[in-house]
Amino acid sequence: MNTVKVLQVCVCVLILGQFLVSGAVPLDCKDDAGSRCASISQEKLLDRVIQHAELIYRVSEECCTLFEDMFVPYPLHVLINQAGNTCHSKHIPIPTSKSEIQQISDSWLLHSVLFLVQSWMEPLLYLQTTLDRYDDAPNALLSKTKWVSDKLLSLEQGVVVLIRKMLDEGIMASSTIFDHTQSPYDGQFPEVLESVIRDYHLLTCFKKDTHKMETFLKLLKCRQSNKLSCLPQ
Amino acid sequence: MRISAAVLILTLIADLISQAAGVSPPGKPRLTSCRSPEKETFTCWWEPGDDGGLPTTYALYYRLENTETVKECPDYKTAGENSCFFDKNATSLWVNYNITVVATNALGRNISEPVEVDVVYIVQPNTPENVKAVVIHEDRDPFVKVSWDKPRTADTRSGWITLHYQLRVKQEEDKEWVEYDAERQKNYNVFSLHSDREYMVQVRCKPDHGFWSEWTQTTYVKMPNYIPRERSLWIMITIFSVFIVFILTWMLKVKHNSVKLCLLPPVPGPKIKGFDKQLLKSGKSEEVFNSLVIPGFPPTTDYDDLLVEYLEVYDNEEQELVLDGKDLSEDSMKSKSPSDSDSGRGSCDSRTLLLDKCMEGSGNDQHNYSQHGETSWASSSECSESQGSPGSPESTDGRMKTWPVVFSSPQPHHHYQVGATKPAYHSVPEILKHSPSHAIPSNYHQLYLQDIPPQEGRFTKPPCRHSQSYNQFNMDNVDISEAGVPPSRSLEYVEVQRVNPENILLLRPLSDPNREPEGSDRIDEDYSKVKEVTSNNTLLLQRETSHQVVNDYSQDFESYADQCTAQQTPHPCKPVMTQLHSQDMRVMGNGYVDTTVLMPLYKQF
Repeated sequence: MNTVKVLQVCVCVLILGQFLVSGAVPLDCKDDAGSRCASISQEKLLDRVIQHAELIYRVSEECCTLFEDMFVPYPLHVLINQAGNTCHSKHIPIPTSKSEIQQISDSWLLHSVLFLVQSWMEPLLYLQTTLDRYDDAPNALLSKTKWVSDKLLSLEQGVVVLIRKMLDEGIMASSTIFDHTQSPYDGQFPEVLESVIRDYHLLTCFKKDTHKMETFLKLLKCRQSNKLSCLPQ
Repeated sequence: MRISAAVLILTLIADLISQAAGVSPPGKPRLTSCRSPEKETFTCWWEPGDDGGLPTTYALYYRLENTETVKECPDYKTAGENSCFFDKNATSLWVNYNITVVATNALGRNISEPVEVDVVYIVQPNTPENVKAVVIHEDRDPFVKVSWDKPRTADTRSGWITLHYQLRVKQEEDKEWVEYDAERQKNYNVFSLHSDREYMVQVRCKPDHGFWSEWTQTTYVKMPNYIPRERSLWIMITIFSVFIVFILTWMLKVKHNSVKLCLLPPVPGPKIKGFDKQLLKSGKSEEVFNSLVIPGFPPTTDYDDLLVEYLEVYDNEEQELVLDGKDLSEDSMKSKSPSDSDSGRGSCDSRTLLLDKCMEGSGNDQHNYSQHGETSWASSSECSESQGSPGSPESTDGRMKTWPVVFSSPQPHHHYQVGATKPAYHSVPEILKHSPSHAIPSNYHQLYLQDIPPQEGRFTKPPCRHSQSYNQFNMDNVDISEAGVPPSRSLEYVEVQRVNPENILLLRPLSDPNREPEGSDRIDEDYSKVKEVTSNNTLLLQRETSHQVVNDYSQDFESYADQCTAQQTPHPCKPVMTQLHSQDMRVMGNGYVDTTVLMPLYKQF
């Protein structure tokens, strides 16, 4: 009996040790010599980042739908989108057609993603505060918004690591790069209708941008795994 | 003024005419849907309104979000009637298109409602292609493997679009389809299809975010005729039955005793007081029945209950009989009998049984006599077995049991020849029988037994154990012919002094001056003479005055019937008994009536 127990303990220790080694390692672990850093492989990291992006997109879509059902009557959909409100990301030169996208480099893809992620950090914070102000905002909407802004931070972290690994570039994981002066969200609280319009616009733009991120990352993955077949035909 | 007025009038007239003729400006067209099959191009379709009876043309205009330029549809033809096809160059992703359709005829135009479209959200792929369904025969039951290809236009290879597939199966006659999800695979195995049936299979696909494609054309597959090997059912049945058997066995084991009790209920032992199971086992039925005759008839459970004053009646036989028991029970047993009225127990307790029960064991212990140098009266293991503690003279204090009367000759130098063969009696003659006959060295025939209680010295305890009790024998006055014996007449006792090595009981009368003053001396002792020893090794005792011997005590109870006849008494046995009976109704020194004399006589019957 004792030998069996000892064996079991040993096996447990081995398994747990493996978990410890492979699991809870910070992503931005330094790779220089002397430091014991067990790092994750690039493919796995990319997979995780893509999963993050997919999840974020799905939740942002749900947020948009929730908001629409609650606050935006149908005819307004068109009006809102027709109005001169543009997503702030339009200012960023991001390719919009497949042919264009397929022609851009990996580096550009990654940087675009990073830029997008960082540009949405503050607007999401704003969204959280403004959604709180509605009387009958559904709890699901609030919680999802909060969740998304948290997840965005992890996505940013992952992309930063990816850039460092794939492109060998050091980059700072900070959202301060984005120009805050363009943010129209400081200070005053608009009226309800105006607020509704603005928030709805924000949510739709966010949905699009998350979809962009997801698409870019998937393209990147294909390129990483299968260079030949992923080239444009 | 005039011209304008004229134009107005003309228009009105034209209107009226046209209305009369049934023509009108076109009705409002409606954009029905826009779809992109591969997220690279897209197509919009519209529904024309009423054409107003005149040829109507339709034009689609779109405007990209954040631009002011309105462009017209580049391609009306590719996608068919009332459609607009946007090719790759005209398609921008993540950009809203504001699309309207304008219907124009001779009389006017009509504009549809605008529609906002983002290409990314309107993806609906084409149907999968090349669906094949094949029946696979392997070691196990045959199944169908369905395989297909992706729609040609979808670019899944570069990761631009990711498709999920779904298939559904049913038989011709079924109403409902059964759907299976194939995720991103391009093949799927369908099991559990019935043999010898034809199935229909269809496949469709969907991008990550988008709409399901249409179902493919039906593919037919026919299952072969096979015998399904329903292994799982048999396995389940086997396991279930094993489980049940296991549970039953365990239950039986647990409830073993109660089941046994239920099926084979224990036979209740006889609960007749005085009934000895051991006797029954030994097969001596007469003895068994004899043992049923207890002194305490009618049977009583508690002797203490019978602390009733007794009467000494010498005339009435029956009363004597009854009273005997009571007297005996109350006086002789100072201590309460610890036992209940259970059967077999009274053997050594009751006087009558002394002869029987105690004798049973005495035979076992013949050899012990010489060991101790003294007799232990039928220190019967049997006796103790059958009764347990009650019979033990040691355990009870002051428990006196009267001995069956032993007759001994008044002449001390008589000794009793006893044969060594009969194992049964407790009586002195019997014991004397056990030991080889020798000349009695002394005048006394005594049996030394220890532990005689001082009070009841006259009474001897049945040596149901190996204990050695000082037994005294009641030397009865055999003068049975005399009725109405004066109460002063006492019983005669003989003491057993010792058993010499030759197994001779040395008796001496209690009135012997040499004797230790253990018992009361109030009793005049009568001795009975041994008339003779019969061929059956019985002692025939003789009374001086009486008729005949009462040799019942010395009889072997197996043959007391014979004894009766061998006795050669002119009286029938019964009268002898009754006479004895009356004779026995004497008050003893300390108020006892010794009816033990009677008991052997009873056994004659």
